[in-house]
Amino acid sequence: MNRVILDVRGLTTKYITRYRENVYAVDGVSLQIEEGKSLGIAGESGCGKSTLALSLMGYYFPPLHYTSGEIIIDGINISKMKPDDVRKSILGREIAYIPQSAMNALNPTQRIINFVEDVVQAHDSSVSKKAIYEKAKELFESLGLPAEVLHKYPVELSGGMKQRTVIAISVLLLPQVLIADEPSSALDVTSQKMVIKMLRNLMEIGYIKAMIFITHELPLLYNVTDDIMVMYAGQIVEKASAHDAVFDPLHPYSKGLMGSIIVPEEGLRSTKLTAIPGVPPNLKNPPSGCRFAERCKYAKPECTVTAIPLREIGNGRAYRCIFPEDELRRMYAKEAAQHA
Amino acid sequence: MKGYRNYFLTKLLWFLVTLVVAFILNFTLPRLMPGDPVAAIVARMAQGMSNTTGVQAIYEQYTELFGTNRPIVEQFFIYMRNVFRGDFGFSFSQYPRTVADVLRTSIGWTIALQFPAIVVGWSIGNWLGALAAYRKGTFDKILMPASIFASSLPAFGMAIILLVIFAVSLKWLPTSGGYGYDLIPNFSWRFMWSVITHYQLPFWSIVLITIGGQAIGMRAMAIYELNSDYVKYSRFMGIKDGKIVRYVFRNAMLPQITGLALAIGTMLFGAVVAEVIFSYPGLGSTILTAVLGQDYPLVSATTLIITIMALLANFIIEIIYGILDPRIKAAQAD
Amino acid sequence: MKHTLRQVFESGKFVSGFAIFVAILLVVTIYPLLVPEPPLRIIGQGTFFEPGIYVNVYDSISAPHFTLNLDEAAERRIAGRLADRDRGAILTWLVGVGIPESEIDIANTEQLLDQWFSNFDPTVRIPGMTNADRNYYIRLNSSIQGLLSTEDVIIAHANEETASLEAAGTIRPSAYVNVGQIPNVRILPLGTDNFGRDVLTELVKATAVSLKIGFVAGIIATTIGLILGLVSGYVGGFVDDVLMFITNMFIVIPSFVLLILISFSISQEQRGAVTIAVVIGFTSWVWTARAVRSQVISLRNRDHVNLSKLSGHSIAHIIFRDILPYIASYVVMALILQISSAILAEAGLSILGLGPKTTEVPTLGLMMNWAMIYQAHILGKWWAYLPVIIVIALIAFSMNLMNTGLDQVFNPALRE
Ligand SMILES: Nc1ncnc2c1ncn2[C@@H]1O[C@H](COP(=O)(O)OP(=O)(O)OP(=O)(O)O)[C@@H](O)[C@H]1O
Ligand SMILES: [Mg+2]
Repeated sequence: MNRVILDVRGLTTKYITRYRENVYAVDGVSLQIEEGKSLGIAGESGCGKSTLALSLMGYYFPPLHYTSGEIIIDGINISKMKPDDVRKSILGREIAYIPQSAMNALNPTQRIINFVEDVVQAHDSSVSKKAIYEKAKELFESLGLPAEVLHKYPVELSGGMKQRTVIAISVLLLPQVLIADEPSSALDVTSQKMVIKMLRNLMEIGYIKAMIFITHELPLLYNVTDDIMVMYAGQIVEKASAHDAVFDPLHPYSKGLMGSIIVPEEGLRSTKLTAIPGVPPNLKNPPSGCRFAERCKYAKPECTVTAIPLREIGNGRAYRCIFPEDELRRMYAKEAAQHA
Repeated sequence: MKGYRNYFLTKLLWFLVTLVVAFILNFTLPRLMPGDPVAAIVARMAQGMSNTTGVQAIYEQYTELFGTNRPIVEQFFIYMRNVFRGDFGFSFSQYPRTVADVLRTSIGWTIALQFPAIVVGWSIGNWLGALAAYRKGTFDKILMPASIFASSLPAFGMAIILLVIFAVSLKWLPTSGGYGYDLIPNFSWRFMWSVITHYQLPFWSIVLITIGGQAIGMRAMAIYELNSDYVKYSRFMGIKDGKIVRYVFRNAMLPQITGLALAIGTMLFGAVVAEVIFSYPGLGSTILTAVLGQDYPLVSATTLIITIMALLANFIIEIIYGILDPRIKAAQAD
Repeated sequence: MKHTLRQVFESGKFVSGFAIFVAILLVVTIYPLLVPEPPLRIIGQGTFFEPGIYVNVYDSISAPHFTLNLDEAAERRIAGRLADRDRGAILTWLVGVGIPESEIDIANTEQLLDQWFSNFDPTVRIPGMTNADRNYYIRLNSSIQGLLSTEDVIIAHANEETASLEAAGTIRPSAYVNVGQIPNVRILPLGTDNFGRDVLTELVKATAVSLKIGFVAGIIATTIGLILGLVSGYVGGFVDDVLMFITNMFIVIPSFVLLILISFSISQEQRGAVTIAVVIGFTSWVWTARAVRSQVISLRNRDHVNLSKLSGHSIAHIIFRDILPYIASYVVMALILQISSAILAEAGLSILGLGPKTTEVPTLGLMMNWAMIYQAHILGKWWAYLPVIIVIALIAFSMNLMNTGLDQVFNPALRE
């Protein structure tokens, strides 16, 4: 087994809204990523994927607040550190983040190079501008980005170019872990492919050691990451290898999400049709039992009584459901037979 | 630099075109109304005036100067030529003073009052709005309702309230005029002091009104910017808060500058009305006297001057904006 | 639709704004039913009567009198009559005869009178006092004595034949009447204005007229803006260029200048409230046009609009079914804004002397204009202008609140 780069244990964070309500958008999440591996996180909109990404950085600002849990990056427990130390020695250096809308991630009134200077000097104010430029130029070129980009304003770059520039800036300080929040969803297909190629390339060159890739487009995950984690209402509901998660989902929610890919010939429309009916629960006061119960077609009264623990079934697989593995499979098989 | 030159030229052209259009409107609007405005107004004025020969003299002189008996297109060119010479004819109500003479004195007062007031109000308002967005909490909770209240108050309301408090009740400052009525303009200390004390109330009422609106706008802009993705990203790249705040305020200020350019006309209206409340000897009071005296040439000239002032202010702000926003240069260069 | 409305009415800001606005509307509709009086009727002879309850003196003489023996009556009577000027004069006297100024409190009537009675002597001459001053003090003294006297006042009327006065009754200083038994009592909660008109009645009517001006102007401006914005945004191309050129032009040319020019050129007789409203409406559509256009442009290429185009729906169908519902919230917000700025525009115009014709109905602006011309603010007649300012501010404030509320419902980004 390889060295574990990112080890997260029971991480819980909440938003405190203007009306002093708590929104538990990440609730007891644990995960491990080994060196050289990538993890995909999937789930419907609003299930807390972006919040998880923000929480993993270990640097919180309102309305997001840390509640409990630990984040250990390459042996350093960052949840015990002072915020300013996290900012100085962890952010960008150990763990870096590409925001969901990387299109707007750059200050519109600043040239790229000036932002790069600010980033480097925020961690080490002794580096000269000339040295920064040389380093940035080298890194950009190694990632296939022309050095002229550095002298431009964000408005002067195309969408795909902007996205790749953000990625390049994120790995500028060679972080161990890179978290990419839907880095490709706003792009056209060609740019999407380029971005994904670039991200994989980063791992191969060794600029980063592990990656988390967040998306709601499942077909994309299957080709990109080694493992997949499915989130629902702030919790992990299933963990599996990419292959198992896609072709053999266990949790009824994963099943519902993956359902559309297994029958690709029915086309895109059917994706929307087979979408799970109902809406995710309000995270201000989530249901006490299984959070998916009210939308689950297999739900029985016991489901809503107590919180359901995440069941480890070996081989790195886990799922959060009251039904045993074989019973779930039986129910799925029965249903498939009825359909056919 | 080329980018900026293009921007400048575009704005200059736009300025000239609007100027011409404003000019045409100023000329045609009154003439579109039924009847010959000059004749109608002179007739109305003559009812209350014993000196009919005097009125007749003005009317003839006016007809002569502006050729009101000639075809309208020709009139337009005559009017334009006269305006370029600074010749607006005689004032009906303050005969034998010329319109140019009346305006010469009031323009100075208005410019000296309104532009500093708007600039100061804009600056303080933006600063407070930014602070409210950044500090949140109590400061925000006090400032915001106060600003909403201040901006709900019409400009003249603010003017009257200040006047009643500071001039009528407390008697700290004079109630009206631009300087003591017993003084003759000169450069003595006494006169200067009088001008300064008379300046305070109109100045601060325009400042306060401007602050209210600007603070609300800036706060919204700054909150929007503080929540924007580049702030989040910059934070997660480890950039210090102080630096991020500088990014945010620069970016939030830019739309406020454009906003100022677009709102300058409305602001001038409030300021002109405030002048009337304080009988400040500027263009606002000139309009009032002109209207009360049915002084057609004076109304027409004053509105033209105000329009030119507004357009010029707008042009200058756009030019400054072009210097401050790097995107302008970048976008125009290609 | 229902859902949206519920959301709107859950916004605290909107609800408070709406409540204020509805309250104003209610007052404006109910008050005239209770006080059915022409708003511009001149009832007071003289200017600026203070707010208060006006009791008919003639009626109170013939009304039943009751005797109430109240100790402080005489005191109060003098306190009420003794003008500030007289108090100042007493102070001068007392200081003149050597009483330290620190011991004198001109607001304390009882003490002041004590000091006066123990120190006043008509034969004493204070340095610097003229003969006229001396006579004044003697008169002052006797009028104070008169006020303190306990003798009755005789009511007399002239005998038509002999033209001599005949006593008709007496009034004791301790006589009281019950206001409820006096047929003519007029409450003037806000006094009268410079022409002697009841300010409250006038204000209510003026509010109604100003609101009407606001609505007419707002609807005209919003309609023009909406149509131009829709055409410009949906048709695009050359039409868009031309319309936007015009719109941008009118954004920089101050609309109030046009307003002044037009209002001035319309003669006074033709300048009714509605005319002013129409003129305001026609000079303030630009912002709406711009906002609607940018919304339409962002909608133009959305899936549902494209789908509608592909299914061969008519332009009218597309505009009414696929575009208007999406921009409705913006249009409503624009309308609210237009209404409140039209009310302000009317007020500004009126202050500049360009308001509606002054003889039929008042407007908030005209009331302001009259108060300013008669210098109510300098004379301290607050009731003539302050209520007007408060009403204007309340209307603007309620509309601001409604708009902020709507904005937060429809633009979640602003919700923080
Ligand atoms: N600033 C905030 N304040 C309060 N609640 C928030 C805030 N941001 C997000 N939330 C809530 O947290 C939950 C998770 O949001 P999050 O953005 O993490 O979802 P997501 O899975 O990334 O969705 P998407 O696919 O749309 O990006 C949602 O219910 C959302 O309403
Ligand atoms: Mg997200």
